[in-house]
Amino acid sequence: MKRTISRNIAIVSAIFIVAFSIMLITNYFQVSSTDTIQSEVIEKLKQANEENSDNPQLQEQIRELDLLARKAYFTNLDRLKVGAAILLIMVIVFVISLRIYFAKNKDIPDKDIDPIDDWIIKSKTRKYIIWIAGCLALSGILFAALTSPYLKNKTQKAISETEIVTDSLNSLEPLDSLDQETATPTDTAAAPIATDTIEISKVTHNAFRGNNSTGINNAKKIPTSWNLSSGKNILWKVKVPRKGYNSPVINGNKVFFSGADENVRELFCYELNSGKELWKLAAKNIPGSRVPATTEDTGLAAPTVAINGKQVCAIFATGDVICADMDGKQLWAKNIGVPDNHYGYASSLLIFGNSLIIQYDNLNAKKVISLDLTTGNQRWVKERTEKHPAWSSPIIAYVNKKPQLILVGNPGITSYNPNNGEQYWRVEAMSGEPTPSPAYANGIVFAATEYATMVAINAEDGSELWRNDEFMPEVSSPVATKDFVFVATSYGVVASFNAQTGELIKSMETNVEFYSSPIIVEGKIYLICTKGKVFVFSAKGDFSLMNSFETGEKTFATPAFTDKKIVIRTQEGIYCVSSEL
Amino acid sequence: MKAYERREFLRTCGQVIAGGTILTLFELSLRKAMAKGATYFWQIDPTKCTFCGRCETDCVLPMSAVKAVHSVKICGFCDLCGGYYRPNVKELNTAAENLMCPTGAISRRFVEEPYFEYSIDEDLCNGCGKCAKGCNSFGNGALYLQIKQNLCKNCNECEIAKVCPADAIRRVPIAKAYNLKL
Amino acid sequence: MNLINHIKIIVQTTNRFPKPDFESGYDYPERHYFVPNEAFWSYIDIAMLVLLMSFVAWAVIRKQVRWPVILTSIISVAYFGFFRHGCVCSIGAVQNVALALASDSYTIPLFVLLMFILPIIFTLFFGRVFCAGVCPFGALQELVNIKNYKLSKTVTTILSIFPWIYLGFAVLFAVTNSRFIICRFDPFVGIFRLGGELPLILFGVVLLIISVFTGRPFCRFICPYGAILSLFSRVSFSRVKITKKGCINCQLCHNACPVDAIRAPYENKVKENRSAGVNRILRYIIFLPLMMIAGATTMYLLSDNFSKVNKEVQLYDKVSENEIRPQEIQSLELQAFYGQGRTVEELKTQVAAIKKDFRIYSGIIGAFFGLVIALTLISLSTKRTRKLYEIDGADCVGCGRCFSYCPQNQIERG
Repeated sequence: MKRTISRNIAIVSAIFIVAFSIMLITNYFQVSSTDTIQSEVIEKLKQANEENSDNPQLQEQIRELDLLARKAYFTNLDRLKVGAAILLIMVIVFVISLRIYFAKNKDIPDKDIDPIDDWIIKSKTRKYIIWIAGCLALSGILFAALTSPYLKNKTQKAISETEIVTDSLNSLEPLDSLDQETATPTDTAAAPIATDTIEISKVTHNAFRGNNSTGINNAKKIPTSWNLSSGKNILWKVKVPRKGYNSPVINGNKVFFSGADENVRELFCYELNSGKELWKLAAKNIPGSRVPATTEDTGLAAPTVAINGKQVCAIFATGDVICADMDGKQLWAKNIGVPDNHYGYASSLLIFGNSLIIQYDNLNAKKVISLDLTTGNQRWVKERTEKHPAWSSPIIAYVNKKPQLILVGNPGITSYNPNNGEQYWRVEAMSGEPTPSPAYANGIVFAATEYATMVAINAEDGSELWRNDEFMPEVSSPVATKDFVFVATSYGVVASFNAQTGELIKSMETNVEFYSSPIIVEGKIYLICTKGKVFVFSAKGDFSLMNSFETGEKTFATPAFTDKKIVIRTQEGIYCVSSEL
Repeated sequence: MKAYERREFLRTCGQVIAGGTILTLFELSLRKAMAKGATYFWQIDPTKCTFCGRCETDCVLPMSAVKAVHSVKICGFCDLCGGYYRPNVKELNTAAENLMCPTGAISRRFVEEPYFEYSIDEDLCNGCGKCAKGCNSFGNGALYLQIKQNLCKNCNECEIAKVCPADAIRRVPIAKAYNLKL
Repeated sequence: MNLINHIKIIVQTTNRFPKPDFESGYDYPERHYFVPNEAFWSYIDIAMLVLLMSFVAWAVIRKQVRWPVILTSIISVAYFGFFRHGCVCSIGAVQNVALALASDSYTIPLFVLLMFILPIIFTLFFGRVFCAGVCPFGALQELVNIKNYKLSKTVTTILSIFPWIYLGFAVLFAVTNSRFIICRFDPFVGIFRLGGELPLILFGVVLLIISVFTGRPFCRFICPYGAILSLFSRVSFSRVKITKKGCINCQLCHNACPVDAIRAPYENKVKENRSAGVNRILRYIIFLPLMMIAGATTMYLLSDNFSKVNKEVQLYDKVSENEIRPQEIQSLELQAFYGQGRTVEELKTQVAAIKKDFRIYSGIIGAFFGLVIALTLISLSTKRTRKLYEIDGADCVGCGRCFSYCPQNQIERG
């Protein structure tokens, strides 16, 4: 009687346990899958809400979904907890009833299934063990051989050889392979804007003087002449709402630049194909921010913004740094200390990997700062032993495929590891007020500033190669290839020097003033003078003037290039030149 | 019986070796155990934490033992709180589309113009660290993550510590169970 | 729970907003954080451990009764399992001890050391009384065990090498401070916590279902601590006796044993030249160092692969990949690495040291594996004549199941 009851209880509880555990497991999977889906959906909706202006319907939807998701989350947690407890109780019941059922059965234990002689079993076991151990050891050795680092090195070498091609394009040997430079991922940025059939170039101009700030761009089909008054080759031209000496940057179909006055400091995003303003973002409500005194020819928005295709960052002479995503949503903002600088802060930003690099050479402090792009938190900071402030901008040089962050100050030219700020080398050669940024090509770093000298440094070990002080730039930065380095002075002389020896190759008097920096693109050097006259030289040691023409607009900023297009910022406005209209 | 004696002898030898092993093992590790600073609890170092969000997902518990805590002494009591509101908030109200916390665990109370006091409902917090990230990006960092010792199962090896990118989770002594900011 | 507000002062890094000056006389609320009284609970744990082990030892060695084992099992599952959630357990403590012995920076809590050493001491005196019912894992399997189908002796012998392999790897990863794999792949802790990783819980459930039909699969074929205890149990001072009276070779106990620890009487049926047997043993003894060397070499060669389990090594791989080809969007690990301003060189030396440790310890563990296999082979080539049923001290977990099957015991109790 008791046995039948316990047997029945056992059967019932067993069925219950099986059914219930299946339910719990499916519930578990449902929870883990819907949970993530729902939160993603809500997140998307919330972002949509932030982009749109007030949309009560959308907001209502978010609220409802949010409530639903939260309810589901907590009830499911409770359900799992209660379910597990119920299951446990049922298992206990099952085990007890089974025990009672079998309590009388103890007199029939199972027979040994190996009735044969003990010794035979042992011999068999020995044989098996030897075989299994042997096989395991062999497969272990085989596996070790297959994954050994020596073998891997070989295959990796083969792989990396092919990859170097794309890799070296980052920075090495510019002119030789004009299709160089990074094709940084602009897909994300470009995709949502591809409204019509306009193709979007993958060639980016991510910072002051292009990617890594090297002054070299691999764009193609660049127009060599245009006319602002007749509109020849001019795609669009607009007035810029706020003043600034910073240069435009291009990523995908977007052009970014900043502008500032006493009241507002803003980051602008324009559409490359139309010149339409897509969004703007003001640096406001940042604790510690204050408007310092600046001179008219520097202003509050001299530093160029930096971009990586996902984030865009801007800095102002107030020390405010803002970072936004490509749609203008502010990610973070902070003040890194108001720069004490008699002209105004001017060093441009540079993005390396996931960090934002800021050269902060001012009277109050001289340091280089790396901020985390996603949070704005400081990654590292290095105090710099400079004597005076500087207005030049950092560049990234790939030396033997390893990145170096190169900064020019007074008196030092310093190379850092951009990942952690560790100093690689330092050469002291500058004086005065260093404003031109350094140039880099083929393992050699060039730095020059007026009233000092031009110095060439072997980037591998920091040894000085040569010096020359014949024609020195004041504001405009030099640009270099493996053969020559090209400078544009503020008194109108353009000159090229032998990159290896420092000998003057050629100089040319233009009788204008250069602030904007030369950019090498498609085998030509593009240079614009302060009055707006454009010079196109052939990019050779003994360069020749290929074309020159007036635009009539005062230009101080460096132009930005992408395939078929140039974006140029003038004193008052910004315009886009295109080779196909 | 000779075989029997031999076996007994071997066994005594074995006992001596076993006893010796235990004593040496015990002695060696006791020296370690007696050294100061034996640590027991797991805890997050808020200066290292990068708010990656793995505390929410990698704890062995269904609801993580990691919770956000709020150091009221360093809080700015801001109206526009980076931990309470989403970064691009339009209106400073309690509508779901404006709030950062996915579970609604942060609540606030008006103190006086323009200050608000914030507090966290531990039962609702799932340790995702969104608020901590917001507060550290825009504010004083008064919100941060800590392991609640009354919830933590004190696993011999913390699963979150093994995936923590910043190595912020370490063992702490019993006497210092929390790393609180002051 | 103690209401203590332990505070560690940290230098503030961000202070974007000043502390407000309240005009309305605002009082800062006091916030308290619960700290469980772990010192107290660890005393209770140790006391429970000693008490339960003594109880089991008294029952199986002095009294030959099983009910205390069942009672202990229930208490253990309830207390160590469902109440204390099974952490830190003696099985996992193996790794803490190994780490403490190898690393200078790790200080092992006394409580964990006692968790490790007490069962071993008890085993040396009384056999594996810890396994009998004090270990919540063993207890859980004991409680659900209902039938005892025998497994082939060949299979069980081969499978029982696995705990040693598992132990070897657990020690390898513990001493290199990489992972505690015993804790990571613990099948029962999820059941005790009523939640956890689904695959592991399912594994635990499967083990429990198996243990309904055959005794203690986890203890016999997986548990590394059981392997250590079996060594000490082999030479224990007193051990479980089925009956105080003489054995009558009825075979009932043999069939009742869930872990196959009762050896049947044996006489040499396969007649073999004595010198042949001696030769075989000698051969294995000569092979022993060779096998150790083979094991050491294999493991040494594999050490580089094992080192990938270590977090720092993984990080180094990612960082060096990034150094060669900087990634646009860095992983969380890389962000944290660079964010903390750590240098590649420093990490490199660190990783080199870790890899060196891995090579050394892999070699040692490999030699150990060779030794285990060689010793198993030697033990399998000895012949020992038995006239009566005997308990094998190494395998017996002292569950006491055999007592009631012995007719001699039944006579005594009437």
